[in-house]
Amino acid sequence: MGRPPLIAFLRTWFRLLTVQASWNYERMIGVGLGYAVEPLLRALPGGPDGERYHAAMRRAARYFNAHPYLTGLAAGAFARAEHEEVPAEQIERLRTALLGPLGAVGDRLVWAGTLPAASALGLTLSAAAPTGVGAAALLALYNVPHVALRVWGLSAGWRRGTGLARALAAPVLTVALRVVGPLAALGIGVALPLVAARLGGPLDVAAWMAAVVSFAAAWVIARWVAPTLGGVRLALLAAAAVLIGTGL
Amino acid sequence: MSTLTIAALLAWGVVAGLDFVSVLQAMVARPLVAATVAGVIGGDPVNGVLVGMTLELFALEVLPVGGARSPDYGPGAVAAAAAARGVAPASLGVAVAVGLLVAQVGDWSIVAMRRRNTARVRAAAAGLDAGDLRTISHVQVLGILWDGARALALTTLGLGAAYAARHWLPVAPRATVLLTAVLLGLGLATAAHNAARLAARGSGVWWLAVGLVGGGLWVALR
Repeated sequence: MGRPPLIAFLRTWFRLLTVQASWNYERMIGVGLGYAVEPLLRALPGGPDGERYHAAMRRAARYFNAHPYLTGLAAGAFARAEHEEVPAEQIERLRTALLGPLGAVGDRLVWAGTLPAASALGLTLSAAAPTGVGAAALLALYNVPHVALRVWGLSAGWRRGTGLARALAAPVLTVALRVVGPLAALGIGVALPLVAARLGGPLDVAAWMAAVVSFAAAWVIARWVAPTLGGVRLALLAAAAVLIGTGL
Repeated sequence: MSTLTIAALLAWGVVAGLDFVSVLQAMVARPLVAATVAGVIGGDPVNGVLVGMTLELFALEVLPVGGARSPDYGPGAVAAAAAARGVAPASLGVAVAVGLLVAQVGDWSIVAMRRRNTARVRAAAAGLDAGDLRTISHVQVLGILWDGARALALTTLGLGAAYAARHWLPVAPRATVLLTAVLLGLGLATAAHNAARLAARGSGVWWLAVGLVGGGLWVALR
């Protein structure tokens, strides 16, 4: 089996940063994955003009969806499978099998864990530290694991190939999944009183009462009255009501 | 605001808009980051941070799983920071409302863009099914360009809305304070409700409670 040169891995890694650019309701990130994995397929026997390259590209751009940061795992594994001449049906089965786990792990680890934790740290430091520290901390806490996950994903996908499931059971990933949720909850808990004090600091007692009433009303609406309305639409309705009610 | 400042805000809005979905996703599109930088560009970093914090409370509601829809806070935060320049901290409600409005329009614009991407993919189906690199690259690069154009249009709209809110919206000073308070209450409720949802599994709710007590003590002892 020929191994693609390092530059091909770098190209794929950078292209994976745009994997969602053509997100659509038909193939989701399939086209993005095909675009990203292409440099790794150039080293297939026959090169970019060969039949194996074209057959691999045909498969690569089909329907696929996963968490964007973990798509590197899939890209590496598909490329490895193509280089090892794994039968096309088996590659298709691998694609289908990865759809659920790569989405579920990424969603729990990143969207429901690392992101709210980083956001909470950013809010806390914005309330308690000099200007700009909060935003910088958010970016740092979020992007160190983000970039590490992308680097690990592509290299683990290539190393494991069709045995990719073992990569998802890596101890680091298991521990991170267990820790990151409570960390986010703790972080948001710490942030909320500090943010309330910082943003509510300039308000007088009457304004504070309006804030408390709004808080209670929004909680009731989000919990029992209209759970799908969303905070932004509720806020826009409330803003319109305030502006009209005060004689705009 | 000078032409250079407006150009820099537009460029930053495009960067933040692209970061949200299409390129990198390094979270420079988060309202706290986007508004802080926009505040620096616009010359009022403190108010940039304050509107960014308020919008970040609302953004905590979003879990961008799969193809979930969500407001586009990056350009919204840029618009909010532009509207907040030089405003008293107790009167930032109008700027926050501008940011939320632009973010909501951004949500609709992303859905429209995804429909356009879908139409483009259907039109290019033959080339994609043949694994043609030119077709695949074309669809991918056009996706980035259209998203950049969408972010530019949204930021332009946002800066226009910020200008209109600053110069033409006849709001009484007391009403802006009330609006600030109402949006703060709603933002805190949105963030708290989402935290409770996230913490519902396992020991999360205890960690949330520990955090709230710790944060409360921090405020009390400062």
